[in-house]
Amino acid sequence: MADERLVPTVCPYCALGCGLYIKINEGGPMIEYMLDHPTNEGSLCAKGNASLEIINHPDRLRHPLKKTETGWLRISWDEALATVAGKIAETLRDHGPDALGFLGSAKSTNEENYLFQKMARTLGSKNVDCCARRCHSPTIPALKRAFGASCMTNPIADLANSDCIFVIGSNFAENHPIVARWALRAKDRGAKIVVADPRITPTAWLADLHLRIKLGTDVALLNGMMNVIIDEGLWDRKFVADRTVGFEALADKVAGYTPDKVSGIIGATPEAIVRAARIYAGSDSSAIVYSMGITQHSHGTNNVAACADLALLTGQLGRSGAGLYPLRGQNNVQGACDMGVLADFYPGSVSVHDPIAVQLIEEAWGTGPLPIGMGMTAEMMPVAAASGNLRFLYIIGEDLVNSDSSSSRGRRELESLDFMVVQDIFMTDTAEMADLVLPAAAWAEKEGTFTSSERRVQWSPKALDPPGEVRSDLSTILDLARLLGLDFDYAGPEEVLAEIGRVVPSYAGISMGRAGERGGVIWPCPFPEHPGTPILHQEGFSAPGGRARIVPVDYLPPAEEATLDYPLLLTTGREALHHNAGSMTRRSFSLMKRAPELFVEVNPRDADRWGIVDGDLVEVKTRRGEAWARARVTTRQEVGVIFMPFHFPETNMLTSDVIDPEARIPEFKVAACRIGRMKGLI
Amino acid sequence: MGCRSCEIACAVEHSRSKSLFGAVAEKSPPKKRIYVEFVPECAISVPMVCHHCEDASCVSVCPTGALRQDGIVRVVTHDIEACIGCWTCTSVCSYGMIGRNRDLRVAIKCDWCPDREGPACVSACPTGALVYKEVDEFSGSKRAVAALKLAQGVSAAEIR
Repeated sequence: MADERLVPTVCPYCALGCGLYIKINEGGPMIEYMLDHPTNEGSLCAKGNASLEIINHPDRLRHPLKKTETGWLRISWDEALATVAGKIAETLRDHGPDALGFLGSAKSTNEENYLFQKMARTLGSKNVDCCARRCHSPTIPALKRAFGASCMTNPIADLANSDCIFVIGSNFAENHPIVARWALRAKDRGAKIVVADPRITPTAWLADLHLRIKLGTDVALLNGMMNVIIDEGLWDRKFVADRTVGFEALADKVAGYTPDKVSGIIGATPEAIVRAARIYAGSDSSAIVYSMGITQHSHGTNNVAACADLALLTGQLGRSGAGLYPLRGQNNVQGACDMGVLADFYPGSVSVHDPIAVQLIEEAWGTGPLPIGMGMTAEMMPVAAASGNLRFLYIIGEDLVNSDSSSSRGRRELESLDFMVVQDIFMTDTAEMADLVLPAAAWAEKEGTFTSSERRVQWSPKALDPPGEVRSDLSTILDLARLLGLDFDYAGPEEVLAEIGRVVPSYAGISMGRAGERGGVIWPCPFPEHPGTPILHQEGFSAPGGRARIVPVDYLPPAEEATLDYPLLLTTGREALHHNAGSMTRRSFSLMKRAPELFVEVNPRDADRWGIVDGDLVEVKTRRGEAWARARVTTRQEVGVIFMPFHFPETNMLTSDVIDPEARIPEFKVAACRIGRMKGLI
Repeated sequence: MGCRSCEIACAVEHSRSKSLFGAVAEKSPPKKRIYVEFVPECAISVPMVCHHCEDASCVSVCPTGALRQDGIVRVVTHDIEACIGCWTCTSVCSYGMIGRNRDLRVAIKCDWCPDREGPACVSACPTGALVYKEVDEFSGSKRAVAALKLAQGVSAAEIR
């Protein structure tokens, strides 16, 4: 065919940054596998294979919409942007910049995220945040304190070179299947896989050793392993002496965590703890893979710190095959964090509490004084809305009411806002609550860079035209900023990327050309000729003195425990065919056909006790709300704990709103609950 | 792992428009020829697809010659035009790999994706669980992995 062309792009779902082509021809766009991509070698999971289904979807928003008493009214872009600018100016005048809130999107490009936070902060608002708050916000402070850099240390493909892969709180086989590709390759080479997870997940099928630990007891297990490692002399004395500080305090702390004592807390045998410790510390190169099972706890920051301690104690860092892998969830969540769409960081991980570093950004931007100090996080914004401190909220690509914990409360609180504008590709439940909705281009309908979990910055060119009057987030932000009188003069994303390079040192060498090569560039890339840095911490750490900091932590139980009224524990997670709050995958035909409804996994003994049969509709109730789901009776689930995926709106009506004191992440993973069969409804 | 990526890739490859856009809109929705079966007793998912048996019973029993086997590469193909929907092949297949196209009332089965270099399911599989190899090559690689594990069993015993 004459008009056929292949446009390279980056998968819009999880954070692995898999490459694929969109083949454009007369019959409509189709996927072509990108066999030479370094991360996925062409293969795609079910979501990636179905990713084009959302592009031409009938539910796509096509025009700006204004809420009226009689429903949504189509308005022009000029009117829509003038209304938003007017409301921002009004709120600034009447209530000051702290009454403005900005929630960016981990699905937007780096350039869009950069401009969004620049707009917010130039207006004087500290309240900038994104969905990273709900996934890896504990990783950021804990790893920054430990290593000086808060991100994945090695590329995903490097897992194939590991001799031991220790998986804690991640079900990558279902949720990041491309990671399993490399883990299986390591296993074929003879690597040992150790999985710590309360559930028997498909990842646990791969394991040579599966520690079935109780919910939220990760720190106890990690401290127990470190106790064995120190006791048996398996730690890396040279690494600890030359490259770290804080070993003595750790040794004191973990001395009390003997395998026998830990076994009583976590539920796995002392022998299994000793074996896990020996395999991890005794292998030539070991990797730790962790995800939401570590972070989404009321002590998530401690959990991450304990993982970092284990890697530092054994010197399993800074080499091929040895590293720490926080698996992230959104295609550009790493980028959104790098761009400073966080209440605690300016671009380039500059702390909002550091006036000297912020002053450098002021100079680069040529603005007046920028706000100093912590802003409102994504979890605080609804609370502040209810108390009247937050009046205006601008949300891009985020289904806040479904992804927030204890979501019915958040929904009520958001109603107190004076004005809410939502920019999205679909009319999500959050958009339904807005006063104004702006349609946004999907990933393949715009150009810009995305940063994957492995710090790989890839340029994704525009493959298709957006439907209707839809504009990219970039052009919407630029137009709005100009209406607000800000000096945002950029010809396109390429120019924004150039400015990012001047503000964020690790992006300094990244240009559109470099990021557009196959596989892009892995930051830090401090100058244009720099090849990128796939493996971090090879020489020194970026923490003060070039030494990593070992921060001992104590085990703390989860905030909620089973009681007489709520005798079971509910834990949440992902399933293979859906993505996050599901606003995309729940609209995808082939995915919904295979995973049509919310389910709850229950152990057969619990099912017997509450009279539940496989396939029943079951009511699940917690202190915050109730929801129903289809029962799956399975021994994959341990007795006393039930599991629900969080891709359907009902799940987060149940989850706990107790938050980690430092990272402010809610404890999605543990909530006391009770279940019962729905009467009269089967 | 049960991600069912192969099922989607297969259905799209065998749709008329060969794109998900069109595939979903087509009157008769595209049919997959690979099945990810969940085995509840072991809580494990297994991808099941036609084995293209060396001496394929479905080909022997086909009354119209709609099912044919290539003399050299042994791929078993199916001609929709010649199929009368008698389901004899379905009853003799040991693996349950011959499905039914309800709209056309004919059998449907794996054809190794003749328009592609390798089957779509194999290209799509994120974990590398599906492989497309000749018997000699495949058993050779299995043998190497098994030998490695045996050898390591000896050295692993020393660590513990």
